[in-house]
Amino acid sequence: MKTSRLKTRIALALFAIAVLTIPLAARDGYIIQLLNIAMLNAIVVLGLNFATGWTGQINFGQAAFYGLGAYTTAIATKAGLPWISTPFLAVAVVVAASLVLGLPTLRLRTYYLAMTTIGFGEIVRLIIVHWEPVTGGTSGLRAIPGISLFGFGPQGQIQHYYVLIAVLAVAVLVAVRIRHSALGRAMIATKDSEIAAEQSGVDTTRTKLLAFIIGAIYAGLAGCLYASSIRFISPDSFSGIQAVLLMTMLIVGGMGSIAGCIIGAAALTLLPEALRFLGQWYLVLYGLGVIVVIVLAPGGLASIASTIRLRLAGAR
Amino acid sequence: MSDRPILTARGVTKRFGGLVALDGVDLDIPRGVVQAIIGPNGSGKTTLLNALSGASHADAGSIQIDGRELFRLKPHRIARLGLARTFQTIRIFNNLSVIENVKVAGACNTPISLFGIVTEDARQKQNEAEIEYRARAALEVVGLGGRANDRAAQLPYAQQRLLEIARALASKPDVLLLDEPAAGMNMTESMKLLGTIADLKTSGITILLVEHNVRLVMGISDRVVVLDFGKKIAEGTPEEVQRNPRVIEAYLGRRHRHA
Amino acid sequence: MGQLVINGLALGSIYALVALGLLLIFNTVQIVNFAQGQLLMLGAFIGISSAVTHELPVAIAWIITMVAMAFVGIVFMVLVYFPLRRRPPFLVILTTIAMGIVLENLTLIIWGPLPVSMPSPVHGAPLRFSGVVISMHQIFIFVTLAVILLLQFLLLTKTRFGILMQATAQDLHTARLVGIPVNRTIAVAFALGAMLSGVAGLLVAPIFLAEPTMGGSLGLKGFVVSVIGGFGNLPGAVIGGLFLGLIETFGARYISSNFRDAYAFIVMIAVLVAWPRGLFGEKSSEKV
Repeated sequence: MKTSRLKTRIALALFAIAVLTIPLAARDGYIIQLLNIAMLNAIVVLGLNFATGWTGQINFGQAAFYGLGAYTTAIATKAGLPWISTPFLAVAVVVAASLVLGLPTLRLRTYYLAMTTIGFGEIVRLIIVHWEPVTGGTSGLRAIPGISLFGFGPQGQIQHYYVLIAVLAVAVLVAVRIRHSALGRAMIATKDSEIAAEQSGVDTTRTKLLAFIIGAIYAGLAGCLYASSIRFISPDSFSGIQAVLLMTMLIVGGMGSIAGCIIGAAALTLLPEALRFLGQWYLVLYGLGVIVVIVLAPGGLASIASTIRLRLAGAR
Repeated sequence: MSDRPILTARGVTKRFGGLVALDGVDLDIPRGVVQAIIGPNGSGKTTLLNALSGASHADAGSIQIDGRELFRLKPHRIARLGLARTFQTIRIFNNLSVIENVKVAGACNTPISLFGIVTEDARQKQNEAEIEYRARAALEVVGLGGRANDRAAQLPYAQQRLLEIARALASKPDVLLLDEPAAGMNMTESMKLLGTIADLKTSGITILLVEHNVRLVMGISDRVVVLDFGKKIAEGTPEEVQRNPRVIEAYLGRRHRHA
Repeated sequence: MGQLVINGLALGSIYALVALGLLLIFNTVQIVNFAQGQLLMLGAFIGISSAVTHELPVAIAWIITMVAMAFVGIVFMVLVYFPLRRRPPFLVILTTIAMGIVLENLTLIIWGPLPVSMPSPVHGAPLRFSGVVISMHQIFIFVTLAVILLLQFLLLTKTRFGILMQATAQDLHTARLVGIPVNRTIAVAFALGAMLSGVAGLLVAPIFLAEPTMGGSLGLKGFVVSVIGGFGNLPGAVIGGLFLGLIETFGARYISSNFRDAYAFIVMIAVLVAWPRGLFGEKSSEKV
């Protein structure tokens, strides 16, 4: 028990060192920018994991919450509000939106919930596209002011990289703490057996709503950071396709696993770029790849590692 | 302590379409007894249990625990008011560890503070410690203390049944409803289970036992209620009930019809 | 006004056809196929390939499309549903979405991104009634919907196959135990479901032009209709489809055409808030 915990700690430390030294090795600003987007996606997928991975509620509205956070931030800072106000504004907007969507719909069963969240995402996208004077329509918003706290802010991709690492670390820590609290157990209990959870004293309606709202807050904050670190947003980044992509990151990485969320987000953000030479074939392979992972590795990529470890241990 | 029954039901009625599954059932269950509910298949035993626990609400009637009305409350409110249950078909939380399964119910009367969880403040730590203590104690009662950190899904069948009992106990119930707890158990496991139920009784919990296996029930129960076609047809000590001609008719008649 | 009603009903008939295809599959395996729109798109392109590129008569193109779609439906079932038949339905939502992505991009690779047109199988001057114009193609759409509705009703209620489908939907395991050829029944359901979306594709292409990305929105409309009408409910699917066609056409004319695609979802969410199982209720029993 103790040695295995030590091993995990050493592995985590090595991983942290590797992650922190990447910018020194990668000279290409483009790679750093990709990693930044991967980390933002990882935060959004961690948020999705609360509602979908743990509580078992399908949510195709996560990309819309991501977009609401980004557009709120962009519009607020371009209107001259100080940056420090934007995380609060983004959270306020997504909490309000998640209440509007979640309160009436979370009692619905699988397909109905999937459809209402898809519909919600479509409505948000259409508003963004057609409310042109404010949102810039399909061409999006450019030259969004960057992160700035009392006059200080990260400059360039590498500094943003470290800021995002710190935020992602906090996001992971909060997720771990929730997982090991009564709330996290209630979420998983609700997914495994709603009626047994209720009869054990879990208010499953409230638990679902909380999971949904916490997930929306993750997406809203990631959206806020997206707008002020990438400095350009357009509706395409938060469309229904993006919602499906976020869901596949969660499934391919491993539903319910915090490490899986990060692995899935990193893999499916970097892979398209690495396979860009495939052109249109990439998306064909992407679709087939998702099917293969779902069929062959129900626990996602995160489970493959532990399966291999078990097999090796068994062989010894 | 008063002589007032811990659990009372008046006129509990439930219809499924044209079928009357429960027809004005009354119950008075004294504190600290083992009360059995028996009856032929389809007599309404599980329907009554679901009505009491709120899993599937009755259409009419009144249900009170220690004087507080439960009728039409959501199941989690009923659980928090002191009525816990197990299920005929096992419903454990497969993605949680054994002790986490029990902790879910152990936390039922602890308020959740998101701020406390995120900052891990002193109160949160104390709450978790109390939940952990309750959960450990409940696992010890059913003899699963040694498997606390295993995945619940890995437990063998009989132990999953015990886990459900431990989970129900962790909410510190006044009344514990057991829905066919011995189903699928072999003789040794059933005997052990009876021992556990006897221990629980001495600790002061009132137990409502729904069983198909009448012989198993008679030895352990203080009082027995017999249901047939959704109606209470007899009530009393096991001996009284066994001599009751209506009960014999209900069981024998049913058996003849099946033959 | 009258013109809007006709146009709305024609559009609604297409939505109803998509919903009827979903319903066939749902009524057999209790699974909602999120790639139904992409199957529709594929049907349209197979028809165009036969009728336009290879200059075959339109009737022959229809037959080729039907045969091809039946085959596609079975391949679809083997790849997307079969490996996951014992796993949570949630995962099948994702594999069908993934298959939709595959079909859409394969079509892009094969036929390119440009919209193409397809001739209608019927010709002749449009009918006119006091200013309302009804094209022959619109009449053909209404007739097709009526015929398919009748056939599907007969199939589900009057044939042995309909009973097999219902038994499979009720309890797959027991159905297999009592000797129902479960896999064959499911394969036929998928083939018929794909053929129905193929018909919808062939009917859409002459009005709107076909392009590889057309499936997403049409498929979603099919689900909206299923939700409004209640999953698996035959009259619900048709009434829901026509209703949605009217809402969209009138909404685009009198409110704003920018939000054309939003009306469907707003109506759906409003319906679900009031009736969590759809206007006409859900036909099939819940799988436990």
